[in-house]
This record gives sequence, C-alpha cells and structure tokens, in this order.
Amino acid sequence: MSLLEVRNLRVSFNGLPAVDGVDLDVTAGELLGIVGESGSGKSVSMMALMGLIDAPGLVSADALRFDGHDLQVLSAAQRRKLIGKDVAMVFQDALNSLNPSHTVGNQVREVLRVHLGLRGAALESRVLDLFERVEIPAAKTRLNAYPHEMSGGMNQRVMIAMAIACEPRLLIADEPTTALDVTIQAQVMDLLLRLQREQGMGLVLITHDLAVVATMAQRVAVMYAGQVVETEATDTLFNQPRHPYTQALLAALPEHNRGARRLAALPGIVPGRDDRPPGCLLAPRCARVQARCTGERPKLVEGVRCFFPGGAA
Amino acid sequence: MSTTELQAAEAPASVMQAQNLVRHYRVRQGLLQPAATVKALDGVSFTLQPGRTLAVVGESGCGKSTLARQLTLVEAPTAGVLRLDGRDAAGADKATLQQLRQRVQMVFQNPYASLNPRKTIATALAEPLVINTTLSKADRQARVLQMIERVGLRPEHAARYPHMFSGGQRQRVAVARAMMLQPAVVVADEPTSALDVSIQAQILNLFMDLQEATGTAYVFISHNLAVVEHVAHDVMVMYLGRTVEQGPKAQVLGAPLHPYTRALLGAVPVLDRTERLARGPRVPLQGETPSPLNPPSGCAFHTRCPLAVARCKAEVPLLRDLQGRQVACHLLDA
Repeated sequence: MSLLEVRNLRVSFNGLPAVDGVDLDVTAGELLGIVGESGSGKSVSMMALMGLIDAPGLVSADALRFDGHDLQVLSAAQRRKLIGKDVAMVFQDALNSLNPSHTVGNQVREVLRVHLGLRGAALESRVLDLFERVEIPAAKTRLNAYPHEMSGGMNQRVMIAMAIACEPRLLIADEPTTALDVTIQAQVMDLLLRLQREQGMGLVLITHDLAVVATMAQRVAVMYAGQVVETEATDTLFNQPRHPYTQALLAALPEHNRGARRLAALPGIVPGRDDRPPGCLLAPRCARVQARCTGERPKLVEGVRCFFPGGAA
Repeated sequence: MSTTELQAAEAPASVMQAQNLVRHYRVRQGLLQPAATVKALDGVSFTLQPGRTLAVVGESGCGKSTLARQLTLVEAPTAGVLRLDGRDAAGADKATLQQLRQRVQMVFQNPYASLNPRKTIATALAEPLVINTTLSKADRQARVLQMIERVGLRPEHAARYPHMFSGGQRQRVAVARAMMLQPAVVVADEPTSALDVSIQAQILNLFMDLQEATGTAYVFISHNLAVVEHVAHDVMVMYLGRTVEQGPKAQVLGAPLHPYTRALLGAVPVLDRTERLARGPRVPLQGETPSPLNPPSGCAFHTRCPLAVARCKAEVPLLRDLQGRQVACHLLDA
C-alpha cells in the first residue's frame, strides 16, 4: 500500500490554478523525484500536503492520504501530531528557515520535546546523537551556535537533523541543496540518501536539477504548469522519455549537446497562472502539436499526459 | 594557457591580459579587534583572445566575483597588471579608465535585480550611448532597435518596463545592454543560474550567437560545469583566491590533474547512466571551504585534500606548465 496517496490535488490562488490535478504515490522506503521549472507547482503541491497553504489559497483533492489517514478530514490538532513527526520537510534556504534568535540545538530540542516528550538527559543525548548522525563536526559545541554562526551546509544539516528527529516515515526535501556549493551539495545528498536507507523513509525530492534526480531517485514525476506530465521509473524516463516536454527538457541540457554549437532550446516560456491555454498546456511550445492538442486537455494515461506520446525528441 | 602563449599575448591579438592580479580587502572584525586582510584575489593571470571564452569555476569565496569587479574596472586591483586592448588599466587615470570601461561590460546573475524598474527597455539600452557617444537621438534609437532584434526580442518590447518580462527575456535585455557599446570583453557572472533549464538553453545560445557574430571575448563565471563545458574555450579553476588549474577546456575538464578540479568534477551528479557506472562510486570531498579571513598555510586546499602530504602544509605551490595546462600542486612535481 502507498505511504502517500494523492489524487487530483488542486491548489488555486484567487481562482487561478497553481496546481491542477496532481496524482502522486509514494511507497514506504521509496525515493520519488519531482522535477519541473519555476512555477510548475512542485513546491506548492508539497506545501498543500503539509497543510501550509494559507488563505487566499484553496486546496482540494479527491484523495489526500498518508499511511491510511485522510489528511483532509483531520482536525488541526490531529494534523499537527502527524506533521513534523511522521511527515517532515526540509526547505531550500536553511538560513531563512531557522529561527535566528535561538541556538540550533534548542531548535532541534523543541521538536523532540513537542513530539516525543523527551526531557533532561534523554533529550540531551538524543540531540547530540542527531547532530552526530547528520555529521556535524564538533557536534557538542555546535549545539550552542546560532544559525548565523554556521555555514549554509551546516545549517542545512541542522534542518535535516530537525526533520529526522522523530524518525519520520516520509521526508519531503524541497530543493535541499540548491543554495549550496557543488562539493557541499554532494555531501548533503549522500547524507540524505544514507538516512533514507537506514530509516527506510519515503523521500520526496523536489528539484530542478535533472542530474541529481537521475543519480538518486527510483521514480520521477515531471511537472509542467501545475500538472504531472510524465511519471516513470528513473532509468526509463531518462532513456526513453515519452512526453514532448520531458524530451525537450532533457534535450536542452548542455550534457546532451556535447560538441554542438547550439543547444536544443524549447521556445517560449511556461504559461503563468492567468494565461493557461485551453488545451494541452504545452501546446503553444510543443514541436509535435496537432489540432486536437489545442482544443482538448489530455489526461495522465499510463504515466504520460499526451495525446501523441513517444517518438524521438 | 602556456608560457609561450603568455608571451605571444604581448602582441595586440589579446584583448585582455591579467598578470598576477591581486585584490585584498581590509575588514573590521569588531570594535576592539584589529582590522584583518582578506586576500580575496591572490595572484591570478590569464590572457584572453577575441572571440574566445574563459570560464572561471570555483565555489563560494574562491574570488570569482572579486575577479569580475577587477576586470570590469569597478575596483582597482591592489597589485598586478591588467591590460585591456593593450592599454594598462590597473594604473590608469580617470579619463583613460572612462574610455576603457566602455570596452568591458558586465552581465549579472539576477535579471530581476540588474534592471532599473523605472526605465523602459529602450531607455535602459540607450543610456550607455547617451553617456559614451555623441550619436543623435535618431541614431541611438536605430541602434537600440537593432540590438533588441538581435537578442531575440520584438520591436514593441522597447517601450515596456522590466516587470512586464519573464526572467529569460530580462536576461536578454541585460545581454543587449552589455553589447550596446560593442565591447571587446563581456564579463558574465553566473548569467544563467537564476534561469530554468529550457530558458538557460535559450540564453546560452544567444551568448554563442553574439560571440560568433561580433567576436566579443567572454569571461564566463559559473559553478555549473556542464554549462562551462558547453561555452568555454579555456577554463580557470579557483580556490580561495588562487588559481589551482587553468588551460584549454579539453585538458582541464577532460583530464583534470589538480585534486580540487578532480573533486569538483567528481561531485557533479552525472546524468548519463552508463557514464555514471563507468565512473564508479563518487567520493565526496570532506569538510568545507575554509574562511578567506583565515586561510590555511601552504596550499589552501591541503585541509580537504585526500592526497595532502607534509609539504602541502608548509609551502604554497606555484602554477607551472604540465601536460598542456597550468596547475599548482606539489604532488604533481616531477
């Protein structure tokens, strides 16, 4: 059974859709990568899961289930018990996500106190253990440091320590390494992978970096303008992309244009919330567009949202 | 870049030449502490020919952006020689500097912050001409429209304001503005890292097309090695203000010698599965970049280097020619 089940998730702001019918499944211990460009709705859909969408945002879904709990009918108090404990999230900008006026140690302690009720020596040893598990050097002295006294990579480790403090069953990581340097990115990614394996967590990795997804994820969902346009096992997706957007995205990477003078660029830009075309959302930019595409919106069928999937890019 | 090339660079063929460029900053550390010196840039040399691209690669704090500020003549270097069009820029007087500044232009990372929100695109593009040329208004307008078309925008965009454009279009405007005075060199500081993949491809194509048409030389600062591999002719890898390896792309990226270049390349996730498997498991570099305020002794990389020996801690390695590129590492000494 899926750990997380999302059916037809919609999020809109002032009547304009940001997320437009997203279906996702994550099984226990699975690593799902969500890729897409800015404005594709990848972060908003995960925020909706976590219950972090505020008015005027509206969230609706046919199903939004975590481990059998229907997240839509939970009361706020029940939800708070679940979120942060069994489902945790790591955000992109660690320095902005941490509280600047508390030491990093206290911020991790708070999670343990609230969710696990730890106090005294048990609390102290658990905090130290967590800092060591996320490989923060000189963990004992770092407990008393404030976020501004630490590097971006170290702060991101604190965020991860906080997220895994209650051994969540699902961890959502939203661009966890985008703000970090390449060598630090590799360290943090390896850490996330190791923790995911050790604890058997489901991990949803949101990123715009296709290479990161290719190396880490078991399954990938590609989002475009608020919809999942293709979802597939990682190797299949990268070797035989079927949706024209996935194909164009992969073709636009410098890695796939070795020796070529020009990159295969996808013309145009992602439609905004207020200028979505009536038919397929990619139709204005698609190289394979046909009459049917401009009038009718395709559904996600067998992992791909396209009337004419397949073919060579 | 070999020594022979450096000597040949004395000829007018090079548009930009830096020799041992140094920039130090004094920083106050607190009320009662003495001011400290940050060696943000500590001896960087290169030669740039017309129509060529030099990519500068390195992590935060390596001195990439300090280098950009010296090359665009925004700051005067603490020491060293910087030649532009064969003229000395490091010790130039104000009038010469103003002339030289026209020859080198900059494209910034964030097109949302680098355009004045109160100026139309036409005004923004005409401004360099108003300040630096005696062209008539009609001539300026003609040049602006010509450039707008050249960077892939439409004539009606001229009257619009930056907020009416997407990030990719704004970056086109920023590129157009940099090209208005037909500079010899454009310094681009992470010009595509704020853009999405499909837009990044459009902007990189624009850079390549303009270079082909105008022969402008680029100094391309980027942390994205895939992008660097696509645009660069030569690559310079920096670590804490110093060059650790520099030379033609094929040598530096294809067969890196310096342990830091290797680590950097090894840290990049590889898209292609067969290539990834061929490379074997990646071994991430331990630790973080030390603070430039308190750099390690000897080779600055020795604290993180998997191969470091006692000599690395004591002695600063010098750049020397080896296998078609320059590299600074004791372990590679013959």
